[in-house]
Amino acid sequence: MIKKWYKVSSLLVAVVMVLTLLATACAAQQTPAPAQPTGPITINIGVPMPLSGTAAPWGQIPTPLREAFVQVLNKQGFQVNGQTYNLKLIQVDDENTPEGGSAAAKELIESDGCKFFAGHWSWNFSAIAAVTNPAKVIFLTRNGAPDALPASWGGGGAYDPKTMPYVVFGTPSQEEFLADCFALVDAFPNYKKIGLVDSSVSKGGPGWVAVGKALDAAGVRYASEWFAPGTTDFSPMLTRLNQEGCDIVFVAGWVGEYMAMLKQRYEMGYKNMKVACSGPFVSMDIYQAVVGVDAFEGAIGSYEAPWAFKKTQVNPSIIAQCQEAEQIAAQTTGAPYDYTGEFPWVPAHVEILTQAMQQAGTVSDPDAIMKAIRGGTFDTTAGKWTMSGAQTYGSPIVFGTPASLCSIQNGKEVYLSEHPMEPLP
Amino acid sequence: MPPAGIWIDGLVQSCIYMTMAFGMVLVFSILGILNWTHGQFYMLGAFVVYYAVTAAGIPFPLSLLVSGVIVGALGMLVEKFIIERLTGPGYGLLAVTAATMALIFFFEGAAGMAFGLMAKGMATTLPGVLDMGVFSISYQKIAVIIFTLIVMVAMYIVLNRTKIGKAIRATAQQPDAASLYGVNVGWVSLIVMGIGCALAAMAGGIMGPVQSVDPFMGRIPMIMSLLAIVIGGLGSLTGAIVGGIILGLLNSVIAYKISYLSEVVLFVLVIAILLIRPQGLFGAASK
Repeated sequence: MIKKWYKVSSLLVAVVMVLTLLATACAAQQTPAPAQPTGPITINIGVPMPLSGTAAPWGQIPTPLREAFVQVLNKQGFQVNGQTYNLKLIQVDDENTPEGGSAAAKELIESDGCKFFAGHWSWNFSAIAAVTNPAKVIFLTRNGAPDALPASWGGGGAYDPKTMPYVVFGTPSQEEFLADCFALVDAFPNYKKIGLVDSSVSKGGPGWVAVGKALDAAGVRYASEWFAPGTTDFSPMLTRLNQEGCDIVFVAGWVGEYMAMLKQRYEMGYKNMKVACSGPFVSMDIYQAVVGVDAFEGAIGSYEAPWAFKKTQVNPSIIAQCQEAEQIAAQTTGAPYDYTGEFPWVPAHVEILTQAMQQAGTVSDPDAIMKAIRGGTFDTTAGKWTMSGAQTYGSPIVFGTPASLCSIQNGKEVYLSEHPMEPLP
Repeated sequence: MPPAGIWIDGLVQSCIYMTMAFGMVLVFSILGILNWTHGQFYMLGAFVVYYAVTAAGIPFPLSLLVSGVIVGALGMLVEKFIIERLTGPGYGLLAVTAATMALIFFFEGAAGMAFGLMAKGMATTLPGVLDMGVFSISYQKIAVIIFTLIVMVAMYIVLNRTKIGKAIRATAQQPDAASLYGVNVGWVSLIVMGIGCALAAMAGGIMGPVQSVDPFMGRIPMIMSLLAIVIGGLGSLTGAIVGGIILGLLNSVIAYKISYLSEVVLFVLVIAILLIRPQGLFGAASK
């Protein structure tokens, strides 16, 4: 009896399975092939940025320009295998903290479906990379973050090209600082001495040792000064630099401190002392208001406007895009938009990403896209970059600036000099 | 010997520290607490002046007075609704200390939300630099020195020549006796908190065009004024003034001599002074 029941039930199961298979096959045949999309497909690009806390201005100020640049790119989109694609930037506050970075990365990947991160700036590289790498999300960042830098540069050594194959980062801040130093010497060949100023946090770090060696090798005359974090009164430091014979003071990218030095050197009567900064001017209005029109005159800063470069060749069509984006940003903000520092960041990153997708012939295979990035040459807002990776700890270069400087004349940025950036040995 | 410019710079710092310290000591002598939020009233005063000048077009000297009135009133509200309640029966000193410390973050956060985190700069209201040959000083910094002198003279007159001043002094010395003589101690506490906060606000306002204005700008002046009080002697108004002068000059000269390590040396010096004279320069020795 049991045997018979077993036979019947086995037969029934077999019949049901065959029928199911047949039904599935028929259904598959009847399902119409997915229609080819007629319009552009949008690719989400995650942008983890500090939008709150003390670093918030660095996330907020560039926003109008980076969005305007993508808007310009999207007018025509970019083609991969005959399909047109558009980009959409999705900014999430990473609070400039590891916890915030990790949460932002998860949100961008899990909620927004981002397969690419661009424009990362914050000091939370490790936390974000820990989320992006396992998810095979291509993460374009910089190499200024201390946790990412190798130990030989005084960093935490978090970046490992073997375990982080989807990370793409660029040149350390010190290399930019060095190139800017040379650009200063190019601009003022008869200088007496340059006073290099940085936070005491950086004092004695291997990165600075490397910079010192490179300056010594080039025969640059300089003195170094360090200020404690939170310093607002630079009069004692400026007095000492003046007594040491420094006619140029060069500040390592500390905007608030730079403004204070500009103002205080003027108030102390050191009108011939040139004060320069390795970062771009955030806004002419802010500088003029904080520093004062008279004290701001002659200030020197980075100048990343692609149309102004004289030694770096930027593709004319990209220059036109940058100028159009700047106009849109000005319309959005209702005021002249003069922060040029964003051009080598998100705009350069999206240029590299879109061109890498085109070269790889895919928008969805991260390994193929990374293969295209490594060793590839890309037209960017900061000129043409070949991603050798040889000088950047195994990672392709993604962020580099042409070390172009300007000085303020009659309240406007005027091109001063330019020095090509060469990675330190 | 440091050049004259360093001494001038130190003097400007001294002016701010002594104005801040004066207000803190005043509050301490009447309320018996250290108002840890003093630096944030300094910051709020700077913001009031910033917006009064840039948005409302109020002349700078008048803006200073406006900041004193507005922030002074805010200080009175804090005294009435927080400090007074936490110094009543059932509360210890810790409660009011914790409350004023919490207010640091409240005011900084609120200022960040309301005014933004980006440093704001005021146009120099007194442009130009006075060139004395061996040193130069901006007219704006001269204004800081003159402002401090005016404030100190005004406070001397208020405390020594007016009825409220006498009530404040009486309350500071013997609150119970002052109360028996008809002094409303609660009202005096309110007035003193208002004056103390107004002084901090005007100090922040006068420094607005010298430095930039941001939600965190009150932290260092608060610490420095606290040190000035400790050097001068807790509870002594003269001590607050002398402590402020010493600290400002020391800070500038030491920074000139040894750069970024100046704060370390400065704090070691403060500790050394306290080891030699624990009650501070003008404080009474405890029995």
